[in-house]
Amino acid sequence: MFKNMYNWIDERLDITPMWRDIADHEVPEHVNPAHHFSAFVYCFGGLTFFITVIQILSGMFLTMYYVPDIINAYYSVDYLQHQVAFGAIVRGMHHWGASLVIVMMFLHTLRVFFTGSYKAPREMNWVVGMLIFFVMLGLGFTGYLLPWDNKAYYATKVGLEIAGSVPYLGEYIKELMNGGTIVGAQTLTRFFAIHVFFLPGALLALLAGHFFMIRKQGISGPL
Amino acid sequence: MAHKHDPNEKVVYVGDSRIRRHNNVNVPHDYSAYPGKSEAFIPNFLLKEWMVGVVVLVGFLVLVIAEPAPLGYPADPLNSSFIPMPDWYFLFLYQLLKYPYTSGDYLVLGVLGLSGLPFISLLLAPFLDTGKERRFYRRPIASSLMILSLVACTYLTWVSWHHYQEELRINEVTPEHIKRELEAEEAVKKGLPRPVPGKEKIPAMVASDDPTFTETMKEAQCISCHGAELQGGNAPALRGVGDRLNEEEIANVITNGREAMPAFKDQLSKEQIDQVAAWLAKQKAEGAE
Amino acid sequence: MDHKQQQDTAHKPAKRKEMTRRQFLSYTLGGAGAFMAGGAILPMIRFAVDPILQKKEQGAFVKVIEESKVTNEPTEVKFKIHQVDGWYESDPQLAAWISKGDDGKIFALSPVCKHLGCTVHWGGEDPNKYNCPCHGAQYTKDGKNLKVAPKPLDEFEVKTDNGWVYLGPLEPNSRVK
Repeated sequence: MFKNMYNWIDERLDITPMWRDIADHEVPEHVNPAHHFSAFVYCFGGLTFFITVIQILSGMFLTMYYVPDIINAYYSVDYLQHQVAFGAIVRGMHHWGASLVIVMMFLHTLRVFFTGSYKAPREMNWVVGMLIFFVMLGLGFTGYLLPWDNKAYYATKVGLEIAGSVPYLGEYIKELMNGGTIVGAQTLTRFFAIHVFFLPGALLALLAGHFFMIRKQGISGPL
Repeated sequence: MAHKHDPNEKVVYVGDSRIRRHNNVNVPHDYSAYPGKSEAFIPNFLLKEWMVGVVVLVGFLVLVIAEPAPLGYPADPLNSSFIPMPDWYFLFLYQLLKYPYTSGDYLVLGVLGLSGLPFISLLLAPFLDTGKERRFYRRPIASSLMILSLVACTYLTWVSWHHYQEELRINEVTPEHIKRELEAEEAVKKGLPRPVPGKEKIPAMVASDDPTFTETMKEAQCISCHGAELQGGNAPALRGVGDRLNEEEIANVITNGREAMPAFKDQLSKEQIDQVAAWLAKQKAEGAE
Repeated sequence: MDHKQQQDTAHKPAKRKEMTRRQFLSYTLGGAGAFMAGGAILPMIRFAVDPILQKKEQGAFVKVIEESKVTNEPTEVKFKIHQVDGWYESDPQLAAWISKGDDGKIFALSPVCKHLGCTVHWGGEDPNKYNCPCHGAQYTKDGKNLKVAPKPLDEFEVKTDNGWVYLGPLEPNSRVK
């Protein structure tokens, strides 16, 4: 039955070449950890993506309980962590995953740097990769505020002070991110919107570009 | 199948649009230039990649189960004893901006020069390092700059963390998320419900017209930290303290101080301390009804 | 016949009982994929469905009116209950129409119309009936649905103690057959 359904769709949209291209392309030996153990350094990119998927999923589930409001944010986080079954696990996944994704991405960046894989013709992919790095740091920074405990509040205050010290534009950047003159209710909703909609949207677009370019240009050759 | 097509037919009509039918399977990239065996992405290569993924996932889940995500006390803009710390991957930046040439009058240099420039040059690395050579030991400038930054970041992170630990030790502060867990554990052990900070029900005051409270404790400035109604502030609430400590323990805390609380043995006489302790020991939830 | 089937038949010339290497790899790949997906997603699913698996708390009884004040004519009483909704605790006000039935027993009806959830009231333009302002649903004093509504009005559990009437959780109407 699946075969018939697949054929019916394929006949109309001709989808076979799309996945065949992904499934059948040959992967060279020098990135395969089964051939050379040292090739495990080529796994970090894939692992970054895997953790990112976990982050997106756990984040979606967390918003079922979380409210971005300075009175209730803390109590909703406390509730989901202690009163909801597996709440500690799901929040733990999101919390530790945030650190792990940075670690993996960092190792991936170092691999690309030290193997010189960013050189022509792959310059654009490096730039996109660095933009992904910045978006991830932004996700980390905005996500830190959301539980609205002392740690969240003061770390955000310090971060915004740093942003405010940029010459000329600093004060405007700070006020824009604050959503006013203090770190408060409007900062929290702003950070929530950035953390949940704007940055993930940018991230997905950049990831699509990253993968498209990898597929188009192939993996860089052995040294 | 409903429609029979000639397999050699190049174009299939779907409605009034035309979709080209490829009869040639997509030709994969030629990797013959690379030495060694290559293999198909699915299933051969992906399987190896996913084996690594499984190992990482298991390790990750073990970490998640072993170490719950931290949560401190609700944000309090008036809290002056809190030592703020960013997440660990911002520590190097946090530390960098503490140095004399990166703060104060030089803050612009610190923010733009020492933090902004490296990030921008990292972003533009392929346009700065344009040589054909890929091996890192044949690109001494790029590689040494990278290694230098790595060492600097590691050092700054370490210094920052070390400094934080020192500060905790000197001020005898326990990080809030740990303190909170301990409090919760203690309450659960006593059979009480898990406390939620800021939502505790503070019992009413017992014998609030006692001169011990209206005179002695006022003079000793207890209320400046514990709140005018002893509802708590920078220091814990004292209403209901009798449920937590007995008279002797309270007298000991007043005499010798504890954590952020100073010792009062020089300001109050022994009798006064005993009076206050006796009055505080009466502050129990059941007496407040 | 399309090229995929052609290819499949080309790859499998004869039916053999043992697994091919490709099949084995595919199954292992599927297993590893299922493990990764399951390990990550199952905790989240359990997390999401938690509200339907949590124990429902029995509502407490609330003192509302003196027994002697309840007459054969329905009167409206307002009372507050303590509601814990996740992290949010509140004391919402509820209303009930309370009266003595022909059998002399006290009963209390919820004013929420069983048609589309508007609030009904006793009397008004059509006396001696509960009228709904939205779509003209009507109920008898016992809560029996006369028109529009598909079901009789819900009833609060009633307890009397020491001359006072206490109201408990809502339940389906027990007075109407």
